[in-house]
Amino acid sequence: MIPEIGHILLVIALVLSFVGGLGAFALKRELPVLKISFILNLLLIGSFFALIYSFVIDDFSVAYVAQNSNTNLPIYYKFAATWGAHEGSLILWILSMNIWLLTFIFFDNSKNTNFSNYVFGVCCLVIFSFLLFTIFTSNPFERILPIPPINGADLNPSLQDFAFTVHPPLLYFGYSGLLIPFAISISAMLSGQPNKDWASSSRPWTLLACSFLTIGIGLGSWWAYYELGWGGWWFWDPVENAAFVPWLLAVALVHSLLVTENRNIFINWSLLLSIFAFAASLLGTFLVRSGILTSVHAFALDPERGLFILGIFSFFVLGGLVIFAFKNSTNNVASFYSLNSKEFGLLLNNLLLVVLAVSILFGTLYPLIYEAFTDGKQISVGAPYFEFIIFPFAILLGLLQGIALYISWGSTKSFSFIGKLIVEAISISLLTLVLLFILFDELISASFFAIFIFAWILAGSLMINFSFKSFANYLDFVNRRIGVMLSHIGMALLVLGIGVVSSYSSEKELIIKPGEKVEFLNKDIELLAIKDVQGPNFISKTAEIKVSDDKRVFNIQSEKRTYFPSGQVTTEAGIDTGLFRDFYVSMGDNFKEDSWSFRLQSKPFIRWIWLGALLITLGTFISSINLIRKQ
Amino acid sequence: MNPIRKQRIYALIAILAGSILAVGLVISALSKNLNLFYSPTDLLNNNLSSDTLIRAGGMVREGSIKRSSDSLSIAFTVTDFKNDLLINYSGILPDLFSEKAGVVVQGYLESEGTFRAVEVLAKHDENYMPPEVAKLLEEDE
Repeated sequence: MIPEIGHILLVIALVLSFVGGLGAFALKRELPVLKISFILNLLLIGSFFALIYSFVIDDFSVAYVAQNSNTNLPIYYKFAATWGAHEGSLILWILSMNIWLLTFIFFDNSKNTNFSNYVFGVCCLVIFSFLLFTIFTSNPFERILPIPPINGADLNPSLQDFAFTVHPPLLYFGYSGLLIPFAISISAMLSGQPNKDWASSSRPWTLLACSFLTIGIGLGSWWAYYELGWGGWWFWDPVENAAFVPWLLAVALVHSLLVTENRNIFINWSLLLSIFAFAASLLGTFLVRSGILTSVHAFALDPERGLFILGIFSFFVLGGLVIFAFKNSTNNVASFYSLNSKEFGLLLNNLLLVVLAVSILFGTLYPLIYEAFTDGKQISVGAPYFEFIIFPFAILLGLLQGIALYISWGSTKSFSFIGKLIVEAISISLLTLVLLFILFDELISASFFAIFIFAWILAGSLMINFSFKSFANYLDFVNRRIGVMLSHIGMALLVLGIGVVSSYSSEKELIIKPGEKVEFLNKDIELLAIKDVQGPNFISKTAEIKVSDDKRVFNIQSEKRTYFPSGQVTTEAGIDTGLFRDFYVSMGDNFKEDSWSFRLQSKPFIRWIWLGALLITLGTFISSINLIRKQ
Repeated sequence: MNPIRKQRIYALIAILAGSILAVGLVISALSKNLNLFYSPTDLLNNNLSSDTLIRAGGMVREGSIKRSSDSLSIAFTVTDFKNDLLINYSGILPDLFSEKAGVVVQGYLESEGTFRAVEVLAKHDENYMPPEVAKLLEEDE
């Protein structure tokens, strides 16, 4: 009964969103948009809970539950399995779009009724189209009747993990957050909202979407690192790129909205970029869920679903572009800015971010293009392509970021800060090199670029040499810009983490048996024992490993798990985490008797990558909240 | 020159420079980093040099996995049901590697019918078949 109620709630939400969407465009008067959004939200939450309920009580007559859960699954994962596959994650996606809409309407204080109505209308239509998609191609409440299976097929073991349970909701929240700037852009064009007004309505929500995208991607990377057992933190997999491209565009949009709001220029660019950022997030959905690209994120391989999403994508993106073609702002106030202005700096920032996003998208889609033009020849574009592309962009963006806070609108009066900035950056670089030398006894030239860029952004973001009258003045300045400073410093840490981990990492593969000792990076590594361990829904071989060097002795446990009922084998890496170095042990295969192969890895500074992502999340979040409070 | 026009020209130059940089990078990166996918049959009729990094794949033939007992070397045969390819690899295999499962390897063709893999690609999901391999098997049926 409960699944049927969930289904009916979805259908009611479908009708309501359609009526709401049409009403917003047809009726030129004030509408109870807050009430409708709220009711829509209740309907979707009800439906989502119906699905959670079906998981928790093991209702295997529901096909989606039967495919993704099992009576042996711990209760926490039954709950999280709700969004473990295509159908359930769609409900979560729609719900999060609705939460964005509700929050936006709640804080919206625009005097222009048409503006608010149209934002509401666009959101409703997008939600409607996704509901239509869900109900007709991916209904999570479909029953297996008359004979339901006795037990379910189980949740993919790699997904039975804490980070997994929070990574998708946060990422979806980020993706779907790009709906708001899109809706604002369309609405601004249709209602003729003044530029400064719509840009300042859009900016906090774009920042917030950015914040969620960052934490979502960061958690995904962290999860891949410790759960997949390979020690990699980014694979340039199409699905990762599908999240990275919207992130780049969202970051570009945050910066271009800043110019539109403050200087009344880059208007058409911001309008267009809002459409493209949303388009990229839809395209990401399409790539993940249509199965047209080779990816480790095997979602549902269903061409019919792919076509449907492509339909939604074309309708909204082409629709948005048509509106842009007819209604773009011709009110281009000529505002003068020179080459040394913040405007020009931000223009370069946008240019680099967008061109980078396009290049990454191109590499991701190239296998499809190639296949189409060469009559079915298969090809793959690997990590080296993306690393090669991103390197120069990262350096240019980093150089710009270092001076970002110093330059002024219109024209920068004095560039005397540059000299001091260079001195600061070199000093920080040297200190970092000394630290690396103390830690690892060597200097690797491949990391020098990243170290300098880190130092440059850090020095530039701290603004130590900016002429402040007193320390109190500096604190006041920091207080007003805490959001941007934190996110830029986060970027600096991220760059350092990437630079060091990709040049200082080392690994060794070997076979050892209990009692045997080996040496790796001046550490004695001893395999103490291999134990059989019984988990709630798996059995595991657990290797107990003792690591000792001149400073300390610690134990690491690395596991090989076999999950039932699927029989799938997973590697649970043993990790000794540290701010400066992770020590990572993964278990390979069983050789004769009790000897096993192991991969030992050292991952210096890898934590800094996620620490950086965390700071970016925090910084954009604070900026957004401050802006919302001001409204 | 009128300052607004000058400003537009600067912006245009920046955009052009950015696009040229990107196109140049993309072309040069693509020319070096593309890995073509081959089936065992493709490789039979191909004069590939042994220093071109390529991808190959198919189904791991039942009973073909031979491990060394004291080193990480392993050999196995992949098949597209028309022809076989012997793969040599040294290292730890992904969890989902098994007999009668699809696999994609990246590496170099050494001599006729032998392939030296530098990487064996893993996927998250046991039911997942790399599209290249799925297509290969489909064509066969």
